Amino acid sequence: MLPFLFRKVLNSFLVLLGVVGIVFVLFFVLLPADPARLTMGQRSDAKSLENIRKELYLDKPVYLQFLFYLNDLSPLAIHGNTKEDIEKYDYTKLFSISNQNNVVLKAPYLRRSYQSKKEVSSMLLDAFPGTFILAGLAIFFATVFGILFGIIAALKKGTWVDTSVIFTSVLGISAPSFFAGILIAYVFGFLLRNYTGLSIVSPMWDYDPFQGRHLILKSLILPVFTLSIRPLAIIVQITRSAMLDVLSQDYIRTAYAKGLSKKAVVWKHALRNALNPVITSVSGWFAELLAGSFFIEYIFGWKGIGKITVDALNKFDFPVVMGSVLFTAFIFIVMNILVDVMYGIVDPRIKK
Amino acid sequence: MHSDITLLDIQNLSIDFQIEKNTTHAIQTISFALHAGKTLALVGESGSGKSVTALSILKLLSTPPAQYVNGEIFFQTKNKERIDLLQLDEEALRNIRGNEIGFIFQEPMTSLNPLMRCGLQVAESIRLHQKCTKDKAREKTIALFEEVKLPNPKEIFYRYPHELSGGQKQRVMIAMAISCNPTLLIADEPTTALDVTVQKTILELLKELQRKNGMAILFITHDLNLVKHFSDDVMVMYQGKCVEKQDTKSLFAYPQHPYTRGLLACRPDKNHRVKYLKTVAEIVATNPEENKLEENNWIADTAFATRIENINKSTPLFVLQDVQIWYPTNRSFIGKTNAWYTAVNGVNLNIHEGETMGLVGESGCGKTSIGKAIVKLTDITSGQIMYKGKSIADLNKADTQQYRRDVQLIFQDPYSSLNPRISIGEAIQEPMHVHGIHPAKNRKEKTIELLNKVGLSAEHYHRYPHEFSGGQRQRICIARALALQSTFLICDESVSALDVSVQAQVLNLLVALRDEFNLTYLFISHDIGVVKHISDHVAVMQKGLIVEMNDAENLFKHPSQLYTQELLQSQY
Repeated sequence: MLPFLFRKVLNSFLVLLGVVGIVFVLFFVLLPADPARLTMGQRSDAKSLENIRKELYLDKPVYLQFLFYLNDLSPLAIHGNTKEDIEKYDYTKLFSISNQNNVVLKAPYLRRSYQSKKEVSSMLLDAFPGTFILAGLAIFFATVFGILFGIIAALKKGTWVDTSVIFTSVLGISAPSFFAGILIAYVFGFLLRNYTGLSIVSPMWDYDPFQGRHLILKSLILPVFTLSIRPLAIIVQITRSAMLDVLSQDYIRTAYAKGLSKKAVVWKHALRNALNPVITSVSGWFAELLAGSFFIEYIFGWKGIGKITVDALNKFDFPVVMGSVLFTAFIFIVMNILVDVMYGIVDPRIKK
Repeated sequence: MHSDITLLDIQNLSIDFQIEKNTTHAIQTISFALHAGKTLALVGESGSGKSVTALSILKLLSTPPAQYVNGEIFFQTKNKERIDLLQLDEEALRNIRGNEIGFIFQEPMTSLNPLMRCGLQVAESIRLHQKCTKDKAREKTIALFEEVKLPNPKEIFYRYPHELSGGQKQRVMIAMAISCNPTLLIADEPTTALDVTVQKTILELLKELQRKNGMAILFITHDLNLVKHFSDDVMVMYQGKCVEKQDTKSLFAYPQHPYTRGLLACRPDKNHRVKYLKTVAEIVATNPEENKLEENNWIADTAFATRIENINKSTPLFVLQDVQIWYPTNRSFIGKTNAWYTAVNGVNLNIHEGETMGLVGESGCGKTSIGKAIVKLTDITSGQIMYKGKSIADLNKADTQQYRRDVQLIFQDPYSSLNPRISIGEAIQEPMHVHGIHPAKNRKEKTIELLNKVGLSAEHYHRYPHEFSGGQRQRICIARALALQSTFLICDESVSALDVSVQAQVLNLLVALRDEFNLTYLFISHDIGVVKHISDHVAVMQKGLIVEMNDAENLFKHPSQLYTQELLQSQY
């Protein structure tokens, strides 16, 4: 198990390095825009332009720029001894290698937004809890009901129950989230507002002058539901087909021949065998939702990763875009490792 | 024991399968009775309805498509009640399943839940019917594992099915089936998927358990010879009907129905070498009095001896010198192999032109690896394979092409070795196209010629594999192998998946083709009767080594090695 994990982590590290390389090439080498000008905005005097170029290492050759970028991202890095650097990177010194330079430990430094001058990492961390709660609840809801409906459809194969589950799920897959989001917000948050007590714009936090901010659970309902529609629909289909496959296996007949009830056969013998493809799709979707879902966040007025990213794109705020791309890649990689471990737990046949 | 009690009494049972608009009558008014403590064998080829009959007793057929059209299945419970199983409600039926009637299935590989520890699968059944605690069920399971002679019962309790061998899995299945002391055990081809030597031990185990527990056994098999010493009565089924029902002794001594005679006769004869195997259809068609022809069919010992002599005199086509084949089993951290499995451990073998070399042995003995190495599907670790005096590893590109043309492989499973989306005409033509033999416009003609050779006709050219039976498909595979005018064919268990009557047809075809084109065969099989029939020389393999090799007559008459004797005994 441990060597397996170690190999996985090593692999993932290389993947991440590749992503960093591609991101760097895309935004610093191929992009036909001058980051210094973007940072400056409307003001543009030659002097400050020069300063900014220096700060962003734009006066250096490309390979050095890349090394500096890597150094910024790496938790184990070499940084200067100066007060500016200490403030900028907020590092813990390990040991010094020269008068000016220390080997340090720090959180990855994603640089600052061109626009707001805020640190990108703090912007992302700020937005992440909202996205995480939304995505987590949505995927939980989708998994529980997806598996349930999938099993029901498989057991009632060929009946009207099966047909209507399939029909609904196809509908769910084909409805784009901006359309479903608007429709649901309009119907439940506006037309039926008096009955549901929900509103269209449902921010996650409520700011109370005395108690500070606190979570509004009610406002989770509509966005979570909307967000879970597509994963739900797909999990239903995957569970159904995996179940149908498993239910025709010989060991299911063995279980019946033992005298087990249908319920015991389905839950104890069939479901676990049908789980692997479901895990694959659940984890994929979860990672995708964690990367933010712009339309849902936009429609329901949430400030999540998706919204930050799209806003930044609009304003050519590339550090933020780069940061969120790296962040997303990181989430996918972590998810992948988790899923590999899960496979091993669910199915003892899978070799480590 | 108490043989006066009728345990199972099936009367006029008929079952239909309704698939879309088509109704097949899978079973048509079958009646039979099984007395307590006795063994009844249901024998028939695939599609004869024997498995359907067995599954219907516990209502394990899925409805739809199955429909119980007619009939009763009376069963005497442990409380001496006589009930009709078909009329029982779901809950009462569950109480019978596993508790009063145990079931063993054909495929031990797929009949156990792969994600559940073996012991727990047995304990589950005990806990269900005997309402005991977890620990008590565990104790009982381990005791059962001991009873079915599993090694290290305590360890096996916690093993997963994939960590056991096929025979061990079948023992776990048996333990599960007898866990609640059933009065009836239904065994649906319990040994078909196992090696011959394992087959024998499993049958002995069943017999022993039957004596100890006094249970009745309903034994389903396609192999009539298997039940000769095993069952008290035999019922032969054909296309959903019972054709003959007798006690075992009389059935083997005086088979009444032509079909039964056919089943008995289409197996290779133990005592005589024959030129030609009769198929069931032919035997059914002929009059039993016309047995005169039989002797014309025998090959005299002297004729065979001359043939062997001639073969031994010729120069060998293939020479295998100390061939070793290792497979990596474990890789180190950086991907370097640090553990090997030795599949073939130094094999020397000569194959002469025009002969059939039989290769027998249990699964895992390395016989398939040798076949693969010869067609260069796997690399040999050390040693040499010489073809016409040249090592096949040193062939240049053009020679390799020619070599691949000369040497072809016919696979075991005709169902999965044909692409379902390619018509058989194209499938046969494909190798011609790849190797550029025959001008393009002549290829179709050649294909039809080949189809005729293997007993099919031009009208089959545009059909797809699913339209053919297993035997026909295997003949298509043979035609495909012949398309390259190959001279050497490797038949890897090529007739093992086929029914006995179809087996006879395919074997006859192989012999006819050998004589017509002077082909050379390497015939790999675990079925000793078949190997003896077709081979000139036979090599016996065990654990990667050839333990004995001789001509087919002498090897079977005077086996010198213990292992060969064991194999022969377990087969006949």
